[in-house]
Amino acid sequence: MQSGASRRRPLGRTIIHVALVLSLAFGVLAGAGGYWAVFRAPELVRAPDDPAVIAAARTVPRGRILDRDGVVLADNERGPKGELQRVYKGRAISQVVGYASSRYGRAGLELAFDAELSGLASDPLNDALRKFGADPYDPQDLTLSLSYGLQKAAIAALGDFRGAVVMLDPTTGEVLALASTPTYDASKVADPATARQSFEALQADKGEPLLPRATLGRYVPGSVFKIVTAIAGLGSGAITPATTYKEQPGAEKNGLLVDGFRVRDGHHVTTRSKALDFIEATEASCNIWFALTGLQIGGKEFVDYAGRLGFGAPLPFDLPTAISQVTGGSGSAPGGFKDDVELANAAYGQAETFVTPLQMALVASVVANGGELLRPRLVTAFAGKAGKREVGPETLRRVIDAQAASSIMEAMVAAVEGDLGRRFTAGSKVRGVTTAGKSGTAELGGTGEPHSWFIGFAPADAPKVAIAVVVEQGGRGAEIASPIAGDLMTRYLAANP
Amino acid sequence: MTVAPDIGARRAPLAQSARAGRRRRIQPRARWGEARLLLLVAVTLLVGSISLGATLTGAFVPYDARDLAIYLGALLVAHLAQVLAGRRSDQILLPVMGMLGGISLLLMQRLPQGLVTMNLGATELGLGEVQLLWLVLAIALATVVGVAVRSDRWLRRYKYTWAALGIGLLLLAFVLGTDIGGSRLSVRIGPFSGQPSELLKVILVVFLAGYLSENRSLLIEQDTRVGPLRLPPLPYLAPMVAMWAIALGIVVIQRDLGAALLFFAVFLALVYAATGRVSLVVIGLVLFLAGSALMAALFGHVRARIDVWLDPFGDPLGAGYQIVQSLHAFARGGLLGVGLGNGLPLVGGRIPIPEVHTDFPLAALGEELGLVGMVAILALYLVIVQRGLRIGAAAADDFRAILATGLALVIGVQAFIIAAGNLSVLPLTGVTLPLISYGGSSLLANALVVGLLLALSDKGVEPPPPPGRRGWLSRLPGRGR
Repeated sequence: MQSGASRRRPLGRTIIHVALVLSLAFGVLAGAGGYWAVFRAPELVRAPDDPAVIAAARTVPRGRILDRDGVVLADNERGPKGELQRVYKGRAISQVVGYASSRYGRAGLELAFDAELSGLASDPLNDALRKFGADPYDPQDLTLSLSYGLQKAAIAALGDFRGAVVMLDPTTGEVLALASTPTYDASKVADPATARQSFEALQADKGEPLLPRATLGRYVPGSVFKIVTAIAGLGSGAITPATTYKEQPGAEKNGLLVDGFRVRDGHHVTTRSKALDFIEATEASCNIWFALTGLQIGGKEFVDYAGRLGFGAPLPFDLPTAISQVTGGSGSAPGGFKDDVELANAAYGQAETFVTPLQMALVASVVANGGELLRPRLVTAFAGKAGKREVGPETLRRVIDAQAASSIMEAMVAAVEGDLGRRFTAGSKVRGVTTAGKSGTAELGGTGEPHSWFIGFAPADAPKVAIAVVVEQGGRGAEIASPIAGDLMTRYLAANP
Repeated sequence: MTVAPDIGARRAPLAQSARAGRRRRIQPRARWGEARLLLLVAVTLLVGSISLGATLTGAFVPYDARDLAIYLGALLVAHLAQVLAGRRSDQILLPVMGMLGGISLLLMQRLPQGLVTMNLGATELGLGEVQLLWLVLAIALATVVGVAVRSDRWLRRYKYTWAALGIGLLLLAFVLGTDIGGSRLSVRIGPFSGQPSELLKVILVVFLAGYLSENRSLLIEQDTRVGPLRLPPLPYLAPMVAMWAIALGIVVIQRDLGAALLFFAVFLALVYAATGRVSLVVIGLVLFLAGSALMAALFGHVRARIDVWLDPFGDPLGAGYQIVQSLHAFARGGLLGVGLGNGLPLVGGRIPIPEVHTDFPLAALGEELGLVGMVAILALYLVIVQRGLRIGAAAADDFRAILATGLALVIGVQAFIIAAGNLSVLPLTGVTLPLISYGGSSLLANALVVGLLLALSDKGVEPPPPPGRRGWLSRLPGRGR
């Protein structure tokens, strides 16, 4: 009592504690400042809803977009009131390049690379230094790997059908064509005078011309998915190229019974009672053989290998992509399948399996590239005031070893060039060049025509181009998708021998 | 109860002679440290103003030479007033305050002037000029308080009167408050409007300093064991609970989350500084978390703030708009900033961050001065805190020590709360950035804090009265020993 009154306890020690806590708190603020101003800044300053991006769009000419041969796909023009607006080369590239409209925002590459095109993007170091210059904006021209000629040919080949074509160079990942139909006139959306009328019509159109089917369309794959099953089977060691199933020939006539569901086939007329190996089964497109392989692989391993190909997540691409899936993933069986019936059906591409055309083109190019998956690329160079920056090839991962890839290639060659295979893939052969491929006819249930599919590559021994074609409700693969693929690959190889 | 006669007896003659000396004549006393720092501030602000002018007008001249001259002139007068009065007070506080105020002036000059207008006779003042007016008044207030306050008796003796006044202010806000954006922050009486919580925070610190210094030894010495915790006797926790209730009351009545957070944080820090008892802080934090959960459960606007904090980009065009725009501004600033006057791109003629001049000046400064500039500004607040805590640690008695500590913390913690809100470290609450945000009540209240710190730091100020009277806690039953 007395001591408390007469001997004063100094507060110095506790005050220092308070000071330490507050200093730490301010340290956290500095850290948060660093997080937003440096770490997250590259993403935030490129966001299309950043006010600086919006403000720059009104005053600074956007960078141009050029194809692989220097054809200008997107350019600027002064409107009647003197404000800048975009003009585009043609309808063929609208789904890729998109539009930049003062009224309806951005789409396609115009959206994905808005910051670069509007001149706000840079790396953090240049972000810091650029501000000292008189003109802070550095619009960049984008050079694409796309070939405008090939793209136009792909759109023309699809004609009035809805569908998509994806072509890429399997050795570099460069996308050569990324066509979706129906398409539209992006210049009309970009022109303030016609924007409203044309955009509202596009939105009302039942054909969904604004949907880039090549990257965002999700389709039942049908038999082209057997290549994914083959990659998972050979990759996981569940099968070898010599694998046969003794129950397969017997089941051809009445179908294979899996837990009460009958997997059916249509080729027994020609293969009769032969037990098919991997290459023969691919050539004949044997549903029963692939269903048995799917069961042999097991759901978990199957989904894992598909994941290595890019399934289950958006693809690391320059445009947004839809997620391709082997299964809906909500089931209790391994890998998220509901049961063995779903697994067996998925193995030949007919269950809850949905894929994007770009994903299937990547499946073909993994086989073509000896088992290695490269990042698909559209933009190959940025050119601004500071000079040109090239974007090189990027290996994402090895999916399967070269030997497995070579076996699958052999099977895909048989599917195009073999006696039986030719019936399914007529027209996909590139004249004078060994061609590998697989067609598909994706049953949709109900009475509608199936989707027609083809994936493949050429030349088989030294692939230069891989392709995926889907034609919505186009009928059997052989009738529609295969000839489109053959024509387009022929055209590309003729121009790039 | 024994009065400690020795201390008082020894000091009294000294004090008398000092007082006698002052009565004879006031001895001017040079303040070279302050002068040098003020020169640095003047040069920095001049460079800033020229930079702003070059950006906005293209000419290498100060953006608004007259207003800058008025401001620097006010600082010079404040300096000279202290020199002439012969004060031996802290020489760093005024330059730091001058620097923060100068930054504020440059920012308000460059924002759209129509954000705030005031009619003085026939002339209409814009944002920059109104802020200049408040800044000059703030400097004047800090100086007058720093020079004129020679005794703390008026603060020390009437602490319960002060507390009553504070609660009165709170009620005033409840009765006369006008709703702005869901918060009842400002009170308008005739032509004047102000935010009572700005003054309330100073009053609170004065009350706490009085209360804690009187009851300090009791709070330290007495024990109740509850499980592993060593607590003071439970009745002594009553003020803690009362404080907690007042903070919640502020949230409920004023809907002012920021003030509640500020008061409670400063309260806890002062309780710890006075007692050194971690257990009290732990109890306080538990109460705080429980109260926050309660508020979030009861009030939609509290929950909305928390939701935005957890995911600012969840609703970037709606509830999260302000904070998302703030984060974008920091990102555009990057490491070095875009330069004064170069930030905040107008979209459709509007500044992207609503309320940038009151709630988000740090975001604007973070954009224009960069991370480097923002950290420097935060460091200036830490300098104020350091000066205040130093004054507290060196104070002659507990009342002054706790008062100085509390005053320093009021500025430091408030700066932290709004900076953390701008950076999405804490949920956004609408407190001002001290000495930078636009607003008269905020500037004057913080100037009052600086002025009191100046007065407390003066070595020639009247010595504290001898410790004698114990707090009312000592008369509580069940004290044990």
